[in-house]
Amino acid sequence: MYRQKYIFLLPGLLVLIAVILFPLIFTIRVSFSSWDVYNPGLNDAGGAMYARMWEDARYWQALWRLSLLSVATVLIQYLLGFALALLVWRDIAARRFFRVLFLVPMMTTPVVMSVIWRTIFHESLGPLNPILEGLGIGAQPWLSHPGFAFVAVIIVEVWQWTPFMFLLLLAGLLSLPSEPFLAAKIDGAGPIRTFLSVTFPMMGAISVGAILIRAIEASKIMETVYVLTSGGPGTSTETVSYYIYIRGMRDFQIGYSAALSLTYLIIMAVALTLIAKALMRLMVRGAGA
Amino acid sequence: MTTTRTRLRRGALASTTLAGTALILGASGTMAQDYSRYGIQADTPGICSFEAIDAKDYSGRTLNVITHAIPVIGEPTALHAQQFQELTGATVNVVHVPFGDLFQRIMIPFQTQQSAYDVLFYGSLWLGDFNPYLAEVPEAYQQVSGMQAVTETYRGVASWGGKMLQYTMDGDRHYLKYRADVFANPEAQALFKEKTGRDLTVPATWEEYNEVAAVFTNTDWDNDGAPNFGTAEVTKRDDLMFSAFISRVAPYAKHPDVKGGFFFDLETMTPQVNTPGWVRGLELFVAAQASMPPGGTSFGLGDEIFSFGGGQTLMSYSWDDAFIQAMQEDSPIRNKVAAAMLPGAAEVWNRDTGQWDKFDEPNRVAYVTWGWTSAVAKDSQNQDMAFDFLCFFANEGNTESDLQIGRFGINPYRDSHFDPAFYESALGWDKAVAETYTATLKGIDTAPNQVFDLRVPGVGEFMSSLAAGVARAQSGEQSPQQALDGVAAEWTAIVERIGPDRVREAYANVVALEDR
Amino acid sequence: MRTLYLALKYLAVTLWSAFVIFPFLWMLSTSFKTQNAVTGGATWLPWLQFEPSLAGWRALFGGAGGVNIVKPYLNSVVVTGTASAIALVLGTLAAYGLSRFSFRAGPIRNGDITFFFISQRIMPPIVLAIPFFLMLRWLGLLDSLPGLILVYVAALMPIAVWVMVDFFNTIPRALDEMAWMDGCTPVTTFIRVILPNVLPGLVVAGMFCLIFGWNDFFFAFTLTFTKTQLLPVSIVALNSSVTPWWSLSAAAIVSVAPLAVLAFVVERFLASGGLKGAVR
Repeated sequence: MYRQKYIFLLPGLLVLIAVILFPLIFTIRVSFSSWDVYNPGLNDAGGAMYARMWEDARYWQALWRLSLLSVATVLIQYLLGFALALLVWRDIAARRFFRVLFLVPMMTTPVVMSVIWRTIFHESLGPLNPILEGLGIGAQPWLSHPGFAFVAVIIVEVWQWTPFMFLLLLAGLLSLPSEPFLAAKIDGAGPIRTFLSVTFPMMGAISVGAILIRAIEASKIMETVYVLTSGGPGTSTETVSYYIYIRGMRDFQIGYSAALSLTYLIIMAVALTLIAKALMRLMVRGAGA
Repeated sequence: MTTTRTRLRRGALASTTLAGTALILGASGTMAQDYSRYGIQADTPGICSFEAIDAKDYSGRTLNVITHAIPVIGEPTALHAQQFQELTGATVNVVHVPFGDLFQRIMIPFQTQQSAYDVLFYGSLWLGDFNPYLAEVPEAYQQVSGMQAVTETYRGVASWGGKMLQYTMDGDRHYLKYRADVFANPEAQALFKEKTGRDLTVPATWEEYNEVAAVFTNTDWDNDGAPNFGTAEVTKRDDLMFSAFISRVAPYAKHPDVKGGFFFDLETMTPQVNTPGWVRGLELFVAAQASMPPGGTSFGLGDEIFSFGGGQTLMSYSWDDAFIQAMQEDSPIRNKVAAAMLPGAAEVWNRDTGQWDKFDEPNRVAYVTWGWTSAVAKDSQNQDMAFDFLCFFANEGNTESDLQIGRFGINPYRDSHFDPAFYESALGWDKAVAETYTATLKGIDTAPNQVFDLRVPGVGEFMSSLAAGVARAQSGEQSPQQALDGVAAEWTAIVERIGPDRVREAYANVVALEDR
Repeated sequence: MRTLYLALKYLAVTLWSAFVIFPFLWMLSTSFKTQNAVTGGATWLPWLQFEPSLAGWRALFGGAGGVNIVKPYLNSVVVTGTASAIALVLGTLAAYGLSRFSFRAGPIRNGDITFFFISQRIMPPIVLAIPFFLMLRWLGLLDSLPGLILVYVAALMPIAVWVMVDFFNTIPRALDEMAWMDGCTPVTTFIRVILPNVLPGLVVAGMFCLIFGWNDFFFAFTLTFTKTQLLPVSIVALNSSVTPWWSLSAAAIVSVAPLAVLAFVVERFLASGGLKGAVR
């Protein structure tokens, strides 16, 4: 009867392999060609595209920038998401209202919201700078200064995806058993010690899962940059996806962008596996791996 | 997506009958069909007229059209597609794509031999890449009155290697726009005199432009309580910023007596982008950042239009949009603006002699840039219907009514469009405004020293490399010279990759337009 | 001390709420503006600060200066709904298999297969654009609903597998074994005994599929021509060189509406404890 186990796995696996295999093989093949706008088609360019990539400082800078951006956004999202989940976990009025409200940003279309955010950050017609002036902070060069543009991208990402962390962590909190908390209370532990010795350890596995999935999604960040800053000012907000987009779609260098993509895929797969292992060891008690 | 596909069968029958009747009546010379319900003044006779199109029956056939996002070009496309549908019974599917993605949306199907679109609306500078995939405009359509009236400049833009591959439906160029009310204001004049020691005049060079912008920036010269600024320019990388930059460079680098290429030396295919004239233009572009409104250093075209068109800035230069915006009926600055040729340069780099030449009368260069255009795909199964659609789109009646709606983005390209009386009577502009506007456009059209876009294969890559370099100088990452040296190196590499002969052959088409 | 703690708590919640609501209020206000109201500087209150207009809203339903979003809306519903349902079914089956049985092919074990599923999310859509284009062309499915559904199934299934594997792992194996002893086959066990126990998991996985499917822009954009338009693509069609802030804002509000309902559904499950184990 164990023969039946394949009935479960195979349909999904085969569909996925069928859909993904061709693109993957194709991308590998194209990366060894010099397909571009003036010489379409698959020729044999050897490793020329990879050699070019090796010297492409803009690509490696974008990779570095992406690491910084995704680590920063995911970390902020995790901390804020956890804090918010704790806040509306219990003992708060109208918590159902707040929970629904906190979930909504995740439901919006990133590419459309980025256009809206661009109007918000607009330095002379947008609403943000007048508010900051009213608060005495003063207007800021949101999209025209490298540092601020970077922060603007982070703000949008945090707005959009903190709900994702919030949802997973709140669901985790709500499913915690109550015995350990009772025990901590009997020991006379205060809220901070309870959190550190009871709540947080029990949330380890959930945290790792949530962080990983967000990290995977954050590594693809593209639409926000595309709409909000176009990678500028200068190249200060250019991420890998956006750079590949410029090379592949704008400049139409299909071969070169395939080489960039494959390299990026390998780096990401390795990096995320390492991060996953490290996080497991760090945050999940008793995890061997 | 304006997908309008259904048309009532009864309506189709009715109008075919009507058209038939009209034909008979027309032949007997007693009366013509009335098409004023489509918002046109008059239906100019010919194969592109409402009447001729109405007489065609394309029921059961489908036309696929790709165009720009709404409203610029996209809205008139949707409008005329709807009309064409009603008149002929064809189904017209229209897709609207943001400018930044239009190129690849057209190019991917071309290169993978997928017949996706019959009719394409796009930027005329991409002709260098698209030309192998486009159908030549049939002789009959080249002879229609509407096409014959297109000015020589824009007929040139539509042609490639002696063949007309693009169907002209718009004319675009860069020119200067400024607030005439401020320039005429004695207080402003006095302030300018006090600060600079010279009289306030419309800038004749880019140095003067920067100077005027600097004096009037961050002051409330329209007394509305909010600060105003000197200049609004397209400065956002990947958002047509390269066009703004070239406008500023052209008079310093395009010597009237030096032939044979502005972007490259046609003979050697050496990039000219890091020569002294270009560097000077970039230095002034970077310096002007101090006179831009908040956020002005990352303005896209839309921001520039809102800024000048909304009355925030004193001067601006790019396509017609911001000017037309300022002249809208409900605009707070209607009839307070004027147009002029782009500023020039008193010193021009001469690459033949390797030195700066002085000019008493500043060297002015007309930059005929971008320009929406249309074409029919070579692999289209519906070329007859496609050309009928384009010639209907651009017939005299439609164009005249499109010219009156600013957000459509359709701008003068026929001789008749340079008549100030049209803007006075149809649009209610003040005489002075209409005159500076038409005189400017006509001046550009007939200017002896013109620059056209780099219409060669890979133009996207060249311009994106240029824009990235300019952006590095703007943000202070590199000096103008360093940044442009970097661009020149990249351009050399690109030319090498494509093949110098191929680029030269294509670029010769552009140089021929400039040196004619 | 306790009062201070409560005050801080409510302050934090209020601040975050303000941050969350801020763009929505701005969108709502902007959707009633005209160009002059926009270029006049930031304003919030209709009538008091600017003269409201319905032009932005009319533009969405065939009015001047807009696109008709009704058909793209329906297309989006069909594609997202169908693809999510298929992805959920296939993903749940695969997840159950991976959770209950051991598979091996050479050095490949269950963990590797699970990773293979999830790793599909690592690929940025930009990498897949041209290959998918060629693949759909070969299948004759470019610019069609089935073509988009196929691509979305592949894009969404990893999410379903990810959520459901964790979920099945929390259901005691004893439950399966009892069913087998009663004479059920693995298939009937799965359908009759296990599925009813993982309903909340299905809700979470389904929600993620719907969210990611509904909000995808890139595939919907690159794999269609003129006939098959999805909602995000038709909204972006308003992002011209002159951006009509008003109609874009109205479109953004319309596009959020159906998913906002999801937030209520999910919250109900949270409140009833139904998600217990959904994230283990």
